[in-house]
Amino acid sequence: MFDEVFLPHMAEAYRLAHWLTGNAYDAEDVVQDAALRAFRGIKTFGAVNARAWSLTIVRNTAYSWMTKNRSKAVVFTDDLSVTEQQQIEQEGPQGTRVETPEEIALFKADAEEVQRALVKLPEQFREVIVLREINQLNYRDISEITNVPIGTVMSRLSRGRQLLIAILGDRR
Amino acid sequence: MSASRPDNSELQMNAYFDGELDAASARVFERRLANDAFLKAEYARFLSLRHAVRSIAPYDLPSDLLARIASTLDASSLGEAARPAGVTAQATIQAVARANPLRWAGRSRQRSWSFRALAAAALLGAVISSYVMVTINRYNLRQAIASQVVASHIRSLMAPQPFDVASSDSRTVKPWFTARVHEAPQVLDLAPQGFMLVGGRVDVVGHDAVATIVYKHAAHTISLTTLPPGQSVSDRAIAGYNVRSWDDAECTYMVVSDLPHAELIAFERAFTTESAALEYN
Repeated sequence: MFDEVFLPHMAEAYRLAHWLTGNAYDAEDVVQDAALRAFRGIKTFGAVNARAWSLTIVRNTAYSWMTKNRSKAVVFTDDLSVTEQQQIEQEGPQGTRVETPEEIALFKADAEEVQRALVKLPEQFREVIVLREINQLNYRDISEITNVPIGTVMSRLSRGRQLLIAILGDRR
Repeated sequence: MSASRPDNSELQMNAYFDGELDAASARVFERRLANDAFLKAEYARFLSLRHAVRSIAPYDLPSDLLARIASTLDASSLGEAARPAGVTAQATIQAVARANPLRWAGRSRQRSWSFRALAAAALLGAVISSYVMVTINRYNLRQAIASQVVASHIRSLMAPQPFDVASSDSRTVKPWFTARVHEAPQVLDLAPQGFMLVGGRVDVVGHDAVATIVYKHAAHTISLTTLPPGQSVSDRAIAGYNVRSWDDAECTYMVVSDLPHAELIAFERAFTTESAALEYN
């Protein structure tokens, strides 16, 4: 049972853990811990969506792992800090509104820059972007994994994208 | 606050971009997109953002992680006599290993795991038991909070009226809370969904004043208490009252009523739908 449910998603599980924790060592610990939890909790698997179920465990394990192992507590807030808000307001939609179509170039940022920008995002935005763009999950699954309503997933994705665009646009 | 909320067309664009709009809404949006230069520019930025994010080199599963997990699992169930799952776990991993012979060069090292596995098992046991202790503490705390919320509900039913401010107008109830509790809650009128807003009151949970919004459904009173986040409990009955709770980013909502659970689920659905609609319009 465990082999059919959790193991097939191990690569994705690792990828998500890596993005959430920010490094390979922690990701390995989290995936091991998550595998153990999944193995023990396999009876709670409702035979609906093995992928979402597995990634939910990985995500929750990652956050409890970080809370336990890092002095800096995991802070969840849906509100941006004042500077972040200003950043969006100045460099986001309003800043770009005045651009002419020719100026709206595609990003010149290379993969490394994008990666750094994504790492910089507050984690509630980073996790939805990673789940959507890298794990390529739909809203319903993301909502299930992150345990927030679909509306919140949508607004976080939207704000996360704006933030990334603002950060990357800065470098142009 | 509301200035930083993405507006509706922004959300529509995200939904369209992610293939989450139904066919009819997608067509409508495409027509708007074709005629709106700003939207078009934004869409182009989204596309290049997606391209950029997806071009980040994927983090590859370390080649020996699967093997280490297999031995952890074996170790964690050393005490159990029969372990068919572990046998198949090993089999699966060997199958994966055969498929990727190069990446499994270090695997033979993993053969001598028995002593390390024993140590790992002991360590894991300690980690798990401390985790369980924390979980139990947290569980007790949440249970205590739910009991206090129910007690407030019972107390309110004994008073001449179950609320401090009577109004079916959310624009009256909300400012009333603003002056009394730290965080004024969302006050939603759910009359169209069958839950009549009748008023609000302040309850005390722990030592904190919290906002409770009172609804009527037929002859039944529903108390909706807004708590700081992370206090939800699974569905339960306390002192004969049904309790249901859920979280969003800002708070935990706890409803108490003598209505059956199915009705509380309907209430939650009405509330979250209305809340999302309000937030994004």
